Amino acid sequence: MLKLTSLQWIGLAAFFLGVFVIVPMIIAASGRTDLFFTLTSVGLLAIASAGVWLTFYIGRINIGQGAFALLGAYVSAILVTKAGMSFWLSLPIAGLFAAFVAVLIGLPILRLRGVYFAMITLVLTQVFTLTALALPITNGAKGITSIPLPGELSILGITLIPDFSTLENPRQAFYFTTAVLMFLTYAALYRIVNSRLGHLCRSMQQNEELASSIGVNISYIRILIFAISSFFGGIGGAMFGSIAQSVYPSSFQVADSVNFMLNCFLGGLGYVFGPMLGTLVLYFGWDLLFELGKYQMLVYSSLLIILMLFLPNGLLSLRLPKKGGSGK
Amino acid sequence: MKRRVVLKSAVAAVALSAFAAGGAWAENPVLKIGFVGVTSGPAAAWGISNQRSMETRAAWINETGGYTIGDTTYDIEIVSFDDQKDPKRAIAGMEKMAQEGIHYVVGPNVDDGAAAVRPVAEANGIMYFPYAFPKELYTAPASNAVLGMVANYQSGPAIYKYLMENKGVKTVAFIAANESDPLSQRDGGVAAAKELGLEVVSDNVTYQVDTTDFTPVLTPVLRTRPDLLVLSGVSPANAPQLIRSARELGYQGLISTETAQDAQVLQEGAGDLANGFISVGGASTPELASDAMREFVKRYTDMFGEYNDESNTKVYALEYILETLKANPAAIDDVNAFQATMDGFEAPNPYMVGDAKLRYVGSTSFGQKRQVAVPLVVNVYQDGAFETLFVAEVD
Amino acid sequence: MEQILANGVYLGAQYAMIALGLTLIFALMNVLNFAHGQMYVLGGFVTYTFYGQLGFPFVAGLVMSCVTLFILGALIERFLFAPVIRRSSRDESTMLLAAGLAFFFDAVILLLFGEKQRGVPKIVNGVFNWDFRLIMPYDRILICVLAILSIVSFILFMQYSKTGRALRALAQDRTAAQLMGVNVDRYSMIGFALGAMLAGLVGGLLVTITGVNLGMGGPTSIKAFMMVMIGGAGVISGAIAGGIILGFLEAIGLAVLSQYGDITYLMIFVSLMIFLAIRPQGLMGKPWG
Repeated sequence: MLKLTSLQWIGLAAFFLGVFVIVPMIIAASGRTDLFFTLTSVGLLAIASAGVWLTFYIGRINIGQGAFALLGAYVSAILVTKAGMSFWLSLPIAGLFAAFVAVLIGLPILRLRGVYFAMITLVLTQVFTLTALALPITNGAKGITSIPLPGELSILGITLIPDFSTLENPRQAFYFTTAVLMFLTYAALYRIVNSRLGHLCRSMQQNEELASSIGVNISYIRILIFAISSFFGGIGGAMFGSIAQSVYPSSFQVADSVNFMLNCFLGGLGYVFGPMLGTLVLYFGWDLLFELGKYQMLVYSSLLIILMLFLPNGLLSLRLPKKGGSGK
Repeated sequence: MKRRVVLKSAVAAVALSAFAAGGAWAENPVLKIGFVGVTSGPAAAWGISNQRSMETRAAWINETGGYTIGDTTYDIEIVSFDDQKDPKRAIAGMEKMAQEGIHYVVGPNVDDGAAAVRPVAEANGIMYFPYAFPKELYTAPASNAVLGMVANYQSGPAIYKYLMENKGVKTVAFIAANESDPLSQRDGGVAAAKELGLEVVSDNVTYQVDTTDFTPVLTPVLRTRPDLLVLSGVSPANAPQLIRSARELGYQGLISTETAQDAQVLQEGAGDLANGFISVGGASTPELASDAMREFVKRYTDMFGEYNDESNTKVYALEYILETLKANPAAIDDVNAFQATMDGFEAPNPYMVGDAKLRYVGSTSFGQKRQVAVPLVVNVYQDGAFETLFVAEVD
Repeated sequence: MEQILANGVYLGAQYAMIALGLTLIFALMNVLNFAHGQMYVLGGFVTYTFYGQLGFPFVAGLVMSCVTLFILGALIERFLFAPVIRRSSRDESTMLLAAGLAFFFDAVILLLFGEKQRGVPKIVNGVFNWDFRLIMPYDRILICVLAILSIVSFILFMQYSKTGRALRALAQDRTAAQLMGVNVDRYSMIGFALGAMLAGLVGGLLVTITGVNLGMGGPTSIKAFMMVMIGGAGVISGAIAGGIILGFLEAIGLAVLSQYGDITYLMIFVSLMIFLAIRPQGLMGKPWG
């Protein structure tokens, strides 16, 4: 385990307290139960965005995360509905399958850089949507609907996670699940960034040729990072499919891929927790402007432009920059 | 946001007290009806025509003193949520409606959104009126969705049958956009056509919604020389271009669709080439529209500058909700009561001349009454306006 | 066969024009302009307003589209992109700005012009029909010729005018151009404005055939990205080649693969990915864009 400073321990404790105690208390007190879903959404989108951020870390602009989220959603949905598998088993499988596909696709396309990589991943999202429309196993245009809620997870007869359909409020259960997943994702991200691998990634971000010349196996690292990134995408997508209890080819599309990327930009590419903050701000930004009716989009986009104008390096660039980023 | 609310209520209070002083209006409680659909981006037209229909009708009701349900007269407030055609947003929208204490929601506009909000609606006791056709939304065990229009698998057969009998149509070709909704509608249409004994000569050509030139798309379809070309689930943006390209390629046969279209759009986009184009609409044609319908169109135009013919169908959902609540005031916050009322509900249709009725149908298609009985009016476009081809009923 | 070729030329010409503007902006400032499609839509709506609504001649509508978009492009570069590029630590940050602009234009278009599909009266009536082997409406032929003329004059402009030469120098090497005495700020602005103008012009031309609606922006941007990728990012001739290739791919693919229905575009996308995997810099691009 990594050594954390006392400040970071406090931040971590504050995070747990906030997410698992304070937020549910506030929701219970104010009766705003719709916040459970909103926050769950933010959490899941932040998980997928974390993957995009990781590919930024090796100097690649990834506009293809929607493809892997869609893939994850379908894998989980198919396993649950057609093979009768438990959702809790299908969730890691969805992530691993997305990672596996990422390896296959990554081998050729990770040789691309700059805008070429950005645009080819954009096309990738389209390819996945069209494939989902054309394949029989995804049920084509009709999508997969009526997916059951996650069932019970027990080990040796001890119930670890209760059957969601028996719960009074499955939204809350999804919220806690997402919070745990998001914590694990960002812990992993933090661990990667502050490891030898993270160091190598940074050197690749600066200059791949140079990194290669000092003996870094860059193609291996590229594939590894892209696979981890897509794993996050697959997990996020699978969770969403389970909440909506349905998956369509349009569940994740180009707009989602672009949004994942924007989340990272907005939060700041230099900070591990950038994508989390970016997602929170972008998602809630739209929600808060709900009152404005037909001017919602106008104000939202104007704010985005103004933000970019004054904080072109992301929201987190407001604080004093510290290498790697830490705390919450 | 808080400040806005305070400000709003302050303004409302001032306005209300002014009215009260005039003695014209009593202070009505507010009944909120929701709308979750797409009002921005490429598909904005679908949701906007819904939202504006509802707002026009609500303003009309409020101006004339409110809507009486049981012993109480309510002002109607429409709460709209833009889901950006994203099923994930649609869920958030439905959660928001639940939070606002709303039990009756119009929308979403597309298949994926309608499927995604189902768990929320059923968990929170919300009846919702989607404009999406998948049968599993309306068939048991699904309970809370009510189809807000005539589905293509209902209108399609009626149109094909009419054209077989009256125009001697024998062969038919289908073309659809490569998206969930149109593809599903195409499959439904093909099945219906085959059942009627039509020969389907082409059913697998698709196009991207962003196509700018339909000539290459249409050429292989028209080579099969169909008597009837069906544009399955065509969006109002694509329809005029498809019609124009088909005619310019020398196609002489009939063209039809099962979705609602707008006459103005057809005229601008295809001009005279659109003459004879068959589509499904509401009670808008001069022969069918009642005075209420004409007033609705006028109020809509005054409020938003321009009418949209798609609203001929979309005006109905709100009317059904209110009329059903009137028939059973207990349903105002109890959807079980609403569902119980649906079976026997009947009220006069204010928008159509004659003795047409508002009632719930769908037993044949869904095994339960989960569809509003919008008159199935089949229009034909002629020189800038729709004319009634025939009127049918759905059961 | 003749029909497929004609379709290819027609599609290729309009696509090439869309790609030209995008690649010009990219070459000069390394900005991937997500709002390019929205600029195209805006150009269409300007022509719609002047030609379709106010009754000006079609050419006047086109000129208005060009002027409006030129000014808009210049302002956007001057007040948005230039400052962000100056302050940002990474070039890619402009992507968020461009995406924000795309949303912004979508919102403005919705408020100004409404949600409906719009069209204008035909500029020429009639259909050219060669024994049903080749069918092409006259207005399409006219637009195709106009598009090709615009492309040719754009190339000539870039080749021989002083501005064109400065822009090319800038695209080749920013620092060197600055050292040679090119006013980099000024020409960046002119270049961006020209790129936006091209988008507006093609929007104005196509509104007579396809009409215009606010949903066309995003998909157009994506198509333009693909063309630029095929040809090579930041290369003028590459954009033209990319546009024509995509036009022909579409025309041929739809004719040959039509019986397999849903897979034409899938095939185009997949072959594009394979092509790029083999040749990462496109046909004529500089390696690594």
